[in-house]
Amino acid sequence: MDRRNYFSSSSSYSNSTKSRNSNYPKHSIPSRDSSGITSTKKTTTRNRDSDDGRRHDSDDGHQDYPTLVGTCPFMCPGEERERRERLRDLAVFERLHGNPAKTSPNLAVKKFCRTINTKDVQASDVRPVPVLEDTLNYLLNLLHSSDQSFAVVHDFIFDRTRSIRQDLSMQSAVSDQVIHMYERMVKFHIISHRHLHRSFGNPNIASMCHLNMEQLMKALTTLLNLYEANRASHSMCQNEAEFSSFYLLLHLGSDKQVEPLSLWFRNIPSPIMKSKEMCFARRLLRYYRLGNYKQFISTTEGEASYLQYCIIEPYINEVRMLALSCLSYGGYKLQPYPLLHLSKLLMMKESEVESLCIDCALETSSDGTGKGLLATKQSVIMKSSGGFQKYYPMESERIERLCTELPEL
Amino acid sequence: MAAYVSMGEAHRRITDYLNRFADAVSYQDGKTLSRLVSVSSDSAVLVSLAEALNTFQDANRLMRQTEKYSQYVDILLPMLRALQSYRLRNLVESYLAFEKASNAFLQEFRNWELAWALEALYVIAYEIRILAEKADIELASIGKTPEKLKGAGSFLMKVFGVLAGKGPKRVGALYVTCQLFKVYFKLGTVHLCRSVIRSIETARIFDFEEFPVRDKVTYMYYTGRLEVYNENFPAADHKLSYALTHCNAQKEANIRMILKYLIPVKLSIGILPKQLLLEKFNLNEYSDVVVALKRGDLRLLRHALQEHEDRFLRSGVYLVLEKLELQVYQRLVKKIYIMQKQKDPSKAHQIKLDVIVKALKWLEIDMDVDEVECIMSILIYRNLMKGYFAHKSKVVVLSKQDPFPKLNGKPVNS
Repeated sequence: MDRRNYFSSSSSYSNSTKSRNSNYPKHSIPSRDSSGITSTKKTTTRNRDSDDGRRHDSDDGHQDYPTLVGTCPFMCPGEERERRERLRDLAVFERLHGNPAKTSPNLAVKKFCRTINTKDVQASDVRPVPVLEDTLNYLLNLLHSSDQSFAVVHDFIFDRTRSIRQDLSMQSAVSDQVIHMYERMVKFHIISHRHLHRSFGNPNIASMCHLNMEQLMKALTTLLNLYEANRASHSMCQNEAEFSSFYLLLHLGSDKQVEPLSLWFRNIPSPIMKSKEMCFARRLLRYYRLGNYKQFISTTEGEASYLQYCIIEPYINEVRMLALSCLSYGGYKLQPYPLLHLSKLLMMKESEVESLCIDCALETSSDGTGKGLLATKQSVIMKSSGGFQKYYPMESERIERLCTELPEL
Repeated sequence: MAAYVSMGEAHRRITDYLNRFADAVSYQDGKTLSRLVSVSSDSAVLVSLAEALNTFQDANRLMRQTEKYSQYVDILLPMLRALQSYRLRNLVESYLAFEKASNAFLQEFRNWELAWALEALYVIAYEIRILAEKADIELASIGKTPEKLKGAGSFLMKVFGVLAGKGPKRVGALYVTCQLFKVYFKLGTVHLCRSVIRSIETARIFDFEEFPVRDKVTYMYYTGRLEVYNENFPAADHKLSYALTHCNAQKEANIRMILKYLIPVKLSIGILPKQLLLEKFNLNEYSDVVVALKRGDLRLLRHALQEHEDRFLRSGVYLVLEKLELQVYQRLVKKIYIMQKQKDPSKAHQIKLDVIVKALKWLEIDMDVDEVECIMSILIYRNLMKGYFAHKSKVVVLSKQDPFPKLNGKPVNS
């Protein structure tokens, strides 16, 4: 430490209370902002941060709305169903025998409504929790049973599950059943995250990915808040560690616009921090931050669950590019780095290593023994991870197996 | 057990308080006024007043009878209620009453021209936070949502708004900002700090130098911590160092709090604290970290992180410390280099990767040659090492000049 004279001018300093774990739900979603210090619109309760369509007057503090209990027995309130029939506003899955103007109570599902205000809502328009669960079952089943393309199925489930979450939050529903529903919806978004990233040829894909990520974060944040709210009355929910690990993995990139991970860690209970899933995610975080591309890739390959892998996958390519940058930057001019070895290190096909080199504007050469990466002291232009890169799969039997067995939703 | 107070005595104590309040306002006696509103303090005057209120239940009528203090009834009535409830341990009641009194006080404060009542306002700002925290504890214990502290935050924002003007009252804004920081940090809604920070730092009405030193220290402490969480090390260094140099040397507890965050920042820019400093301020959790950096002992660093994991996670410096691994690797390789130099200076700059693997194994760390090569390539890429590595020969070749550049007060290249 410098010989800093801190015995200088006199001043006093008011006591600050030590922060300690409290009962306040505090997961939040800041909006995008370029300021260096984390920012958001002025959010108050967790309800505002996550799924609620409620308008809170932050100045009066908390208002106790009477708890709404929905009474709509169908997947879609009758009034809406009839209105959409008239307006021919029916999704392909809702059409009876393909008729764009006819649906049925078994097919129509309530749409997400952006402009809803809790005070004006009728109980008959809101579905109670058991109906919501049946609706969710129906929707998620479409993933297996429909002939439509993934993008189309995703789009429908995306909107209709958003409406489910809206109904849930309007009823301030908190129970194990509700928690389980959120878990399933989060899983849906995670799987979509991967599938959407891999589907090219659809011009809307970039915005679908962005919107999916937005809802994924909202639903996950609500879920984590629900776990926290439940903690007072129950023991730890068994899946909390897994979903906490998803949150962590989603924040691998040092995105200064999001709540810093250091702050998030402060409020995670110790058993969760020490769980197998969180330890895995924390290790990946360490490898990512240190730039240890070798361990990042091999640990993912060896230990990631399918859902964890879905989240990690976009980072794999980024890490591979970092590896190429480092190896070419620090490599020996007279010994091009063998692509064969690289392919093992980065778990790619050799031909794909070559393509990646080209993507990074790095040169390769061949000699008698094979192709190699040429050293260059120039830094590689790294494409941002948000953008759309070509996707190179993981050469791994385990990962391939994971990806073919779709998890239960 | 509250002492018994006769009706006459109770009446006397209450009128005494009301008189003092009214006089304080008339004579613009900020100090006295501030003492009268510090509900949670254990001042004998207020404790005895609370007892009196239990006996004499009709302070309302009493107040309205006399013009001298009837004009302040909106402040005084809830204030007395807050005091009485507080002493009776009805903390939610106390908070609600105090919030009411505070709002009424703020209204009056707006009308008072000069800044004489700032000290009292400070006490109000402090008390509302303390009472809210206690109220929330009570709410949580009966299974209700604790949201009073959030309400206190809203009130403090109002106060800030009142102070953020051209007049002499504006020097109070920083104190209120600091109270807000404490609220937001406690609630975990740290992102809300941003709007007040922006007001303080960019609004033309504020001149940072005008604020009282103690408020500047507190402000720099909290904003410095935010920079630590965001890993803006140069900014964190600047702010926390400011807090440190301007902090009262007698306030050792405060110095310790600043150092708790400043040390990881300094470590990240390559500056190591002396062991004496750590001992003096009881920050021994950092001792092994410092030793690990000096020795290049990766095992010790990891062990230290594990041993104090909960503490580092809670304060939010864990990730910062974890990142020191790169500097530890650098030190380890440097030590090998130095040892080789002693044996054979002409060949010292060539280090076989196998040697590094062995050194790590000796530290009980299992790393294969590929991973060591990976780490070496990162060190070179991040300018912690100058040179290159030859994959086929499995060797690192260090530059003959300055192979281990010092950080020189800058964090490791990202």
